[in-house]
Amino acid sequence: MRRIGVFVCHCGINIAQTVDVEALTEYASHLDGVVVAKHYKYMCSDVGATLIKDAIKEFKLDAVVVASCSPRMHEHTFRRVVCDGGVNPYRLEIANIREQCSWAHTDKEKATEKAKALIRSSVGKAHLLEPLKTSTLKVTPEALVIGGGIAGIQTSLDLANDGFKVYLVEREPSIGGHMSQLDKTFPTLDCSSCILTPKMMEVANHQNIELLSYSEVVGVEGSIGNYTVKIKKKPRYVDIDKCTGCGDCATACRLKDRIVSEFNQGMGKRGAAYMPFPQAVPLKYTIDSSKCLFLTKGKCGDEPLCKKACAQGAINFDQKEEIVERKVGAIIVATGYDLMDPASLYEYGYSKSDDVITTLELERLISSSGPTKGEILRPSNQTKPKSVTFILCVGSRDETQCTWCCRIGCMTALKHAYLLREKLGEDVEINVCYNDIRSYGKGYEEFYRKVRGLHTNMFRGRPSEVRNMKDHLKIDIFDTTTNKLFEIKTELVVIVPAMVPRKDTIDFARMLRLTLSGDGFFLEAHPKLRPVDTFVNGIFIAGCCQGPKDIQDTVSQASGAASRAATILSKEEMEIDPLIAAVDEEICTGCGICVEVCPYEARTLNEKTRIAEVNEALCAGCGGCISACPSNASIHKNFTKKQLLNMVDDIM
Amino acid sequence: MSTKKKYSLFPGCLMPTEQYAYELSVREVLPLLDVELLDVDDFSCCGEPMKSVNQLLTIYLSARNLAIAEKHHHDLFVPCPMCHLALSETKRILDADQSMKERVNVMLSAEGLTYHGKINVVHTVDLLHDHIGLEAIKNKVKTPLSGLKIAAHYGCHLIRPSEIGRPDDSENPQKIEAILKAIGAEPVDYAQKLDCCGAPLLANLPESALTKTGQKLQAVQDQGIQGFVDVCPWCHKMFDSRQTKAGETVAAKLEVPVLYLTQLLGLALGVNSEKLGLDLNLSPVEKLVFKEGK
Repeated sequence: MRRIGVFVCHCGINIAQTVDVEALTEYASHLDGVVVAKHYKYMCSDVGATLIKDAIKEFKLDAVVVASCSPRMHEHTFRRVVCDGGVNPYRLEIANIREQCSWAHTDKEKATEKAKALIRSSVGKAHLLEPLKTSTLKVTPEALVIGGGIAGIQTSLDLANDGFKVYLVEREPSIGGHMSQLDKTFPTLDCSSCILTPKMMEVANHQNIELLSYSEVVGVEGSIGNYTVKIKKKPRYVDIDKCTGCGDCATACRLKDRIVSEFNQGMGKRGAAYMPFPQAVPLKYTIDSSKCLFLTKGKCGDEPLCKKACAQGAINFDQKEEIVERKVGAIIVATGYDLMDPASLYEYGYSKSDDVITTLELERLISSSGPTKGEILRPSNQTKPKSVTFILCVGSRDETQCTWCCRIGCMTALKHAYLLREKLGEDVEINVCYNDIRSYGKGYEEFYRKVRGLHTNMFRGRPSEVRNMKDHLKIDIFDTTTNKLFEIKTELVVIVPAMVPRKDTIDFARMLRLTLSGDGFFLEAHPKLRPVDTFVNGIFIAGCCQGPKDIQDTVSQASGAASRAATILSKEEMEIDPLIAAVDEEICTGCGICVEVCPYEARTLNEKTRIAEVNEALCAGCGGCISACPSNASIHKNFTKKQLLNMVDDIM
Repeated sequence: MSTKKKYSLFPGCLMPTEQYAYELSVREVLPLLDVELLDVDDFSCCGEPMKSVNQLLTIYLSARNLAIAEKHHHDLFVPCPMCHLALSETKRILDADQSMKERVNVMLSAEGLTYHGKINVVHTVDLLHDHIGLEAIKNKVKTPLSGLKIAAHYGCHLIRPSEIGRPDDSENPQKIEAILKAIGAEPVDYAQKLDCCGAPLLANLPESALTKTGQKLQAVQDQGIQGFVDVCPWCHKMFDSRQTKAGETVAAKLEVPVLYLTQLLGLALGVNSEKLGLDLNLSPVEKLVFKEGK
């Protein structure tokens, strides 16, 4: 007979106000095999831990039941406590009487009865719990960072400076992400390129970083400590070892200035041989295979002009797509965001007039390296606008579109209002249509005050319509501070679109086995306590792929993700949770169904013995093979059929 | 020979009592497009006017009309957008809420009626655009209205609220334009397209109501648009019957020919203007310049 101890936690009043903890303890003490039952206000505290450890010694316990919160919260804590007390940590069972009882009910009498049943079944299982041993696994001290925006750059540099090898994969020809498109950053008005370019250069020159630009991750296998990653290197048709970045190919290209530039948000033009922007890293040219005449039509005059122009002989139309493999111990996902296509909100006029632009387009207009060399000109007629109106929350905080706040829109618009006042002078009218100004960060409120002082007209409300009146635009807005309907006549409308997950997020999440939150961004393991972890061990998230945030927060989170990854990478070996699948070799028929169902490729069939095996390093303990096994030979350690049926018997 | 599509006709209150031109043109044009309209006895008010006072009464009245129409097994053609809104909204409520459906059916049982939710509600715009189809219309055109610049007016009830499913998009409706193109006319995109006709304000703030009407027509006139089509008897009442009065509020002499879409369609299909009730329009429809079919 086991000697079991039951420990009931009050969780302050979280449990105690709906469950009679004293009656529960009294009840538990009479259960079969229970030699001691105690209750305490906070069992997870130091005092609570000591109480458990002392009881283990005093009553010579060999199994422990803790009735408290969800095992997801404190199972780990109590395992350590039990282990310190001298009992195998896997001889612990948690009865969840908080999330599954006290928080869900109000009737104290009935809740107490339910808590009793939960404890009864946990004690039933504790009788059968096996002591398990953790095994260890070697860790590959290298990391993969997906996405070369500011988040990916920061994570890569942090890890590389810690001494770990980093593979940074970027899908575009250059790293830099959205931040490289910005002119100035709020609230300090630092020049964006001036603070970003040095970091990009550091990435390019760091001996611990291998930059795989114009590449995409196409496959991920393995688990924490030992991932194998397949990376597709797209052909640039330019030999990057020979290319000096001189630009002769771009000048020579027959399609020069005839292709819409993505980097300039469609406002400038480029050729088929191009570099997205002058500070690109790597400083190499790329030939756009979807546009290049030679690659699409097989003919570019008598011979491709770029090839003729390149003195280095770097142009190589024979380049092929290549798949490379890298082994890493941890993965950081920093894939960033998209802006919502404002054309879908017809009332804001983005598809009706050229003079309705987005903030990112305005950013390119303001930038001295942009299509207008920094002059603010109306796209329709290339004249200076006499009046500019910002519309905030386009698609954001809107139940029919994106319910969330983009967290950067208010400050972006205020920054632009400031910069436009500087560039266009005192006579230009600047209007801002807002819902609430959310200037929550350090120095943000002060910046907002400053912009208000610059004769900025603030209208509180959502415009109902932007009308194209041919030579100007008209906005109808009901101002909720004055309860009046205003008609704003303006020449340039700047809309702040919602921040949305990348288009291919779902496919990408499937490949990495990551979970998405309701809004479509990657879900963190815990919103407060594990904000950069995911539910897949060894994969972390940073930046806007987790949810909208500004550059400050992105950089902090990126450093956080790097530090969390370093915790894994710095260990030579790591422990593996033993709560995984096992095979009862006497029953196994070697049918191989478990091999087929396993999503982690942890199951193999031993050809000699015809018995299925479990790779402990890969098994995630998902239970798929257990339910699939037709002969009940697959078992989940400490979740065996016998243990679970015992729980059911006791609870009934 | 294509078989005729059959619809029961729900006339509403305005069409049989004052907006005869709409009914005339509908009855004239639809048979040419292989649609047969059935007249059904015993219809009552759609219920929409009572909505702000007694919503259950609205639902009951709409459900009653739908239950009567169900007995004839054909989809219900509702030319008035306001009736269309009341009937579609009720249909949506009853199809989603089982307990409300039971409650209403108990009330209907006094007349031996039951609402099942078996028929659909269609308006002139989706009947023409989706059920009949642009190709079929194009094939029947005898006098293409080439080069005729027309402004389309949808009215609010036809396209809002979008959640309950309306015949066209609430922010960027295009079906009337597509129909106009099919008959050779040239629909003009104008900034005031979605502006209100003013009718909802007419009882309480007649001055403001007419100002809305006047502003919209003035914008249309100033942009050199030759004609104006609508599909709602309420809107038509404002733009057509009250055009002169509306002009006074914006100090303009308004001379915009205002027609029902079905009237313009009839002209393109070669129906003579008298049969379409054009002589009942109070706006200067004679200014519409094109060759009329005999």
